[in-house]
Amino acid sequence: MNNDSSGGFAELNPLIRKGIRERLRMKQIIAWGLLTLILTSFTYLTAYLEGSDGQWNYDEKSEIWEKGEPSPVNGARKAFPWLLGVQGFILMFLGTGRMAGGTAEERETGLLDYQRMTPMRPHSKIIGYLFGLPAREYFMFALTLPFLIHAIVVGELSPGKVFHLYGVFLSCVMLYHLTAHVTGLIVSKPRAASWVSRMVVLGLYVFLPGLGQAGFSFLSFLTLLPTYFGLMSEELILVGPQNLNMWHQEMATFWTEVPFFETTLSPAFFSVMMQGLLLAGLFATAHRKWRNEALTAFSKPAGIGLFLLLQFLLIGSLWQLSGNGNASGLLGSAISGDKFDENLIQETENGIVRATVRRTGWVVISVQTILFSLSLGASVLILNVTCPTRHQYLKGKRRSAKLGLQDIPLWADEKPGWLMVLCLALIMPFTHFALLTRAVDSGLYFEEFPGMEAYILPCVLFAACLTYIRAAREKWFTVGFWGFLGLLWITPLLACMVLAVGWEEEVFDVVFHLGSLSPPFAFFEIAGSPHDMSLGIHEDAFKKGAFVGTFIACAIAIWLSLGQFLRRRNWDKGEKNIAVSREP
Amino acid sequence: MIEVRDLKVYYGDNVAVDGLSFEVKKGEVYGLIGPNGAGKTTTIKAIATLLEPTYGEILVDGISALHEPENVQGMLGYMPDFPPVYDDLRVDEFVELFASAYGATTEKRRAEVDRCLAATNLEDKRKVLCKTLSRGMKQRALLAKTLVHDPPVLLLDEPAANLDPKARIDLRNLLKSLAKDGKTILVSSHVLTELQDLCDSIGIMREGKMVVNGNLQEVVERATPTKTILMELLHPFPQTHGFLIAHPSAHFTGEVDESPTLIEFTFDGDNEEVANLLRALVELGAPVKSFHERKADVESLFLSVESGEQP
Repeated sequence: MNNDSSGGFAELNPLIRKGIRERLRMKQIIAWGLLTLILTSFTYLTAYLEGSDGQWNYDEKSEIWEKGEPSPVNGARKAFPWLLGVQGFILMFLGTGRMAGGTAEERETGLLDYQRMTPMRPHSKIIGYLFGLPAREYFMFALTLPFLIHAIVVGELSPGKVFHLYGVFLSCVMLYHLTAHVTGLIVSKPRAASWVSRMVVLGLYVFLPGLGQAGFSFLSFLTLLPTYFGLMSEELILVGPQNLNMWHQEMATFWTEVPFFETTLSPAFFSVMMQGLLLAGLFATAHRKWRNEALTAFSKPAGIGLFLLLQFLLIGSLWQLSGNGNASGLLGSAISGDKFDENLIQETENGIVRATVRRTGWVVISVQTILFSLSLGASVLILNVTCPTRHQYLKGKRRSAKLGLQDIPLWADEKPGWLMVLCLALIMPFTHFALLTRAVDSGLYFEEFPGMEAYILPCVLFAACLTYIRAAREKWFTVGFWGFLGLLWITPLLACMVLAVGWEEEVFDVVFHLGSLSPPFAFFEIAGSPHDMSLGIHEDAFKKGAFVGTFIACAIAIWLSLGQFLRRRNWDKGEKNIAVSREP
Repeated sequence: MIEVRDLKVYYGDNVAVDGLSFEVKKGEVYGLIGPNGAGKTTTIKAIATLLEPTYGEILVDGISALHEPENVQGMLGYMPDFPPVYDDLRVDEFVELFASAYGATTEKRRAEVDRCLAATNLEDKRKVLCKTLSRGMKQRALLAKTLVHDPPVLLLDEPAANLDPKARIDLRNLLKSLAKDGKTILVSSHVLTELQDLCDSIGIMREGKMVVNGNLQEVVERATPTKTILMELLHPFPQTHGFLIAHPSAHFTGEVDESPTLIEFTFDGDNEEVANLLRALVELGAPVKSFHERKADVESLFLSVESGEQP
């Protein structure tokens, strides 16, 4: 690697040059290059040689097993996913760790402050960090490319599709790296940043995509998997007996189309769209933090925009599921199969009667619970970022006074978040009403009209939760806020589990009431209320639980908001006194 | 050049800086003094645009550091109290990184790096990895990086904290020459004697507030209106003590011992009265070997502030 300040290298972004100099000196190039070549060769060649060996086939006529001809095509096709795995490990695992650790380390030591003061534009700094910190990982990735070319040529893979796949692969890599960088910039305690970054990356791109299998298809497209299966499954079908290809064929069908509103989109297009949106959002956040560290991760209008986008994607993903039961992923397969059929056996005078009942009510219960929980989770993050703490509020007050303004401007970062709560609480019912109305009209999920409470109650609970989240955020600092939410939302669920395991059905009534303190459980109760939950004598308690949860949430919202209102009045009085005492 | 008005910085419920106001004129070296936790580093960070104040205004060359930080940053060279460097870069690469980040052309960069390494006596260490440098050397590398874009304002937080005596003298000389070149320097330090020789003005901070601020000489003189006289006799002369005790303007601070030859006392009168006193002592027959006024220094001023004698 050219480490001299001459030629094209000298013209590179200074931060990329820094990354190359720091992590790609000659001895590192040799050590890491050898390691990469050994690891990739071992993985690729093992898979290639195993796959290219002739397959054993059973000839039914002669009733003997025969070994087929060796097939380099099959070898390369079998080795391709392994190669992709190695490349993913290098760029997604090692690279993301480096981004998170590097950003956090520079922030902790103060090196980031030096960069903050240079006149480089924020986007140059972001690009510099994005490609400079994981320079070694990109070098290691480059060393695996000859193996990829071998796989394409020998495996007779479509270069266009592979190119397309690697476009999405690199977009995923940048998404993960940017997420780690942004987390490193946002988390106030640098030592925690590295761990939080890893957790965020895991949560966003590993656990959350799991919900894609429950109808929330857009979440699946934060990973490479849909594109990989959608594009490559057919390409990787082995040459020879077709029984060897069942899995690939199934996966190709599983991921080929993504229902979105009334249309369907290709997985690759949807992945690029999803990742592009997320990349744009993360880039804007990083840009904002580089411009001024004191700014929040995003502004109030941007928070509302994010929530609107989330709701748009939610409606789009669930539109066909609500209207005609069409969904991608496991849920779609379950609906089209017989997974929701329940066989009933009833003894009558005429003997035993067997009947099959489709219990698709569970689809709408689970989807509605996840929909509200997901929206609430997003709201917690948005309110956590956009609602000011006491000191931010007072800073805003003083700055407004200095500028001769009556009050803090409505959309300023320091303005209390009541307007945010109002906006989010008004947006959510649109999604809910649209999807529920379609579900009711489809006749697939409800035997009869579920009642107005199915429409109104979750929206009231959602609004109440947002109200107390805002009050708690503005009242307490970080530890107090998260502690409060943890106590209120998680502890009752843990207690319910203990009660249910210890006393089983005896305490179901208590469990349904206590559990409703936790909003996800209360949303589950609300969603389940219109359906027969087969709970026997506890059915009433289950339905009442929905009201109990909503009532308690409203009570907490009023109590905390009132307290916060009075407290803020005292702060304002204090500020006025300070202003008066400062006057000559 | 630097104007700080009513600066307040809160960390949670703690007030780090409380209503701080001071001004540093162009080409002036201003020393910020105070015990640990006084708010010096916070103040310097706020001027460096790395920390958003809760309240107040900071102007650098008339430009608001709060509202136009990007216009102010180019004028500043900031050096923090702990010297973080990129461990895996060589010293010349470290300095060159910032030369290019500050927009120096490829041709100009090498010259800039050479200039800064020469100024900080790091030429022989240019090819050494930063992680192998001693703390003092890292401090020098950091100073080289700070100077690389030739900023008109330098913010130096404890720049001499880890330097050996020789390096301190070099640093002092370097800062003096930079000040001569018209650079405005705001420096915080615990090494008070260094500030005495270096600074034109000083500010002493205590608990986030500025308790003393102004031209160094004026401040010191204002803070110590009485003169401290040191007199050495050739041999003990007991009448001297009696004479001084009887003199209305002379005061002994401690117990009076008539035997030693070294006598220290404070004197309220002006310079003419000091001369008259010396004449009277000589006429009395006192074998005066030396007689001089001990200059008040920053250290005694700082100690008097610390002990609460000063406001």
